[in-house]
Amino acid sequence: MALAREEAFGRAALKRSLTAIDRGLAIRGAGITAFLLVVLLVCPLAGNAWTKTFTGAAIYAVVAASLGILYGRVGMISLGQIGMLVVATWIGARLSFASSMPFPVLLLVTGLVTMVVGVIVGLPALRLSGLYLALITLMFAGAVTVIINKWQFPNGGHGLIGHLSALNVQDIQTVRRPSSFGNDDDYFRYVVIVCVILFAVALAHVSGKPGRAWKAIRESETAALATGINITLYKMWAFALASFMVGVAGCLYAAQLAQPSAQSFATQDSITLLATALIGGIYSFWGAVVAGVFAQVVPYLFTAQGLWGWTTDANIITIIFGVGLLQVLLTAPGGLAQQFPKDMANLGRLIWRLAGRLRPRPA
Amino acid sequence: MHSLAMLAFGRVGWTDLKPFIPLGFAFGGIYALAGVGMVVLYRATGVLNLSFGAIGTAGALISWWFINHTGVPDVIAYLIAVAFGGVVTLLYGLLFGPAFAARPPLVKTMATLGLALVLVGLMGHLAPPLNASPRFLHLPSSDWRYRISGAIVNWTEIIAFLFAIVLTFGTAAYLRFTKLGTAMRALANDREISATLGVPVRRVEAAAWLGSGLVCGAAGLLLADQLNTLDPNTLTFNFIIAALAAAVLGRLRFLWATLAGGLVIGLVQSLLNAYFSWPNFDQSLSAYRTVTPFVIATTGLLWLGRRRVITVARSGN
Repeated sequence: MALAREEAFGRAALKRSLTAIDRGLAIRGAGITAFLLVVLLVCPLAGNAWTKTFTGAAIYAVVAASLGILYGRVGMISLGQIGMLVVATWIGARLSFASSMPFPVLLLVTGLVTMVVGVIVGLPALRLSGLYLALITLMFAGAVTVIINKWQFPNGGHGLIGHLSALNVQDIQTVRRPSSFGNDDDYFRYVVIVCVILFAVALAHVSGKPGRAWKAIRESETAALATGINITLYKMWAFALASFMVGVAGCLYAAQLAQPSAQSFATQDSITLLATALIGGIYSFWGAVVAGVFAQVVPYLFTAQGLWGWTTDANIITIIFGVGLLQVLLTAPGGLAQQFPKDMANLGRLIWRLAGRLRPRPA
Repeated sequence: MHSLAMLAFGRVGWTDLKPFIPLGFAFGGIYALAGVGMVVLYRATGVLNLSFGAIGTAGALISWWFINHTGVPDVIAYLIAVAFGGVVTLLYGLLFGPAFAARPPLVKTMATLGLALVLVGLMGHLAPPLNASPRFLHLPSSDWRYRISGAIVNWTEIIAFLFAIVLTFGTAAYLRFTKLGTAMRALANDREISATLGVPVRRVEAAAWLGSGLVCGAAGLLLADQLNTLDPNTLTFNFIIAALAAAVLGRLRFLWATLAGGLVIGLVQSLLNAYFSWPNFDQSLSAYRTVTPFVIATTGLLWLGRRRVITVARSGN
């Protein structure tokens, strides 16, 4: 008798939890779909220069998400993700000129080649503790800056480096885009869809077995080892996934810029990426989207475009990012993605309470 | 292949290399200075200050402004740069040191990048590049030249080299023999136990912040003179990478190894410069010599980290 009641109770609880999960998923799915619809339909209406900025933001969001996987999920800090983006952009441009493969294949191959480079750079991660890994990746980013200033990006020349000086202006070519997505609006939609696929791949990893292993490694490497997790394998896996994402993003970026140049990447970009990724929220994929907006749209809004006629110097934005980085590390490790819903809920409760005071009470 | 053969068979003679040796020691000395400052701060507070480059560069720029826009004597302007390094670092330490004290070293280190971004932004805003007449900071000591066995040496080079040795020796002795030094070593070992034993943690940490900041300001001045540029990006970048490389070779712990690491990096970089400026040499390779600190530090890191060790971070460490 008691057993049957318990069983019925258990079944009801199970049913409740299942419907609860379903409802949560449905709300989340609806939110993401609405967001994507707005992005795909409304963003291109803003004009050509804005569309280019939004394309940059989408690409940047993927790079921020790759940093989120490394630091937010596994606890390994890489200060060289922009260096990796430079490498990927170079590889993308190089392969684009060297072959005539269809664009999606080009994206995939660039992703895979960058993945190999990323794993080679990440190999020290297996041996070095967190701080040293941060330093080695910072140095990697520095070395990439030096080399890319020397090599420049391929623009249709011969040989491995394939860079023509400005004197050969008639021979200079641009990195090709997918054939039916040539104009900026279509290319923006293409980039957003590729980025959504990359986010989905990352999400599948995080919510699956590798995600659980990464979490265990982040909490305690010793405990993870004791439970039989292959630390070497899963750390490499994280590096491979992050580099693959940056690789595809780099190829998209090469086609977006058409003629990438070393000037497209500033020395402090790696640090700005870290700042924006942390401000957006390093533990969440929404945070990566916010980071993309912060890193690309906000500077454009305040410098090139001007907000209600008020323009400012890009350096002021750098200062704000610096202050934001300190603030996030001090008070809100989850960044805006975690803080904003909390603040909104608090605000809602406050309004509810105030409204309650105004409501006439029954005598 | 030809250039490689030339390197191997030494067609570049001793006399060609000679002028580059003092230069190498000078750069090495500056890197070592900054590296030692970093290591001392890291040992005492657990903070690896990645804003060192930005602080040193900002100090040099301020010094340039005082020399060119006010009637202040040069010496005072140099002292202001050194003091700026000390004050900014100390203020950061006082404001954020305690707040981050219980966080892992990685978080403490990332936080200093916030300060670096603020300073880089400020420099870009207040001192935009002057393309027509770039800024230069020229120390008067660079005009006092000597000839030592065929190589021309100027006083800035001698100062940089000697300062690095004196500072390393002085700091090592200070940490070993004085009360404050002992307290710093105690802090490096265990902050909580030191506090329980009555070590004035805040004061000792403040001393470390101030000291490392002053060294950073001085190193920034010397590097601005030796690199012959005041471009914020170039200077910040070169400064921090070389200082980090030296500190890493000292495993963020050993002062003498940091000194040696800094000197080796400076010397190798300068000698490569000698090879590359040799007329018959493939000039297009000379851009790569800037990669020297990365290559040496990365090789060093991999060599030092060749044994796989799992460390469990203690809270508050």
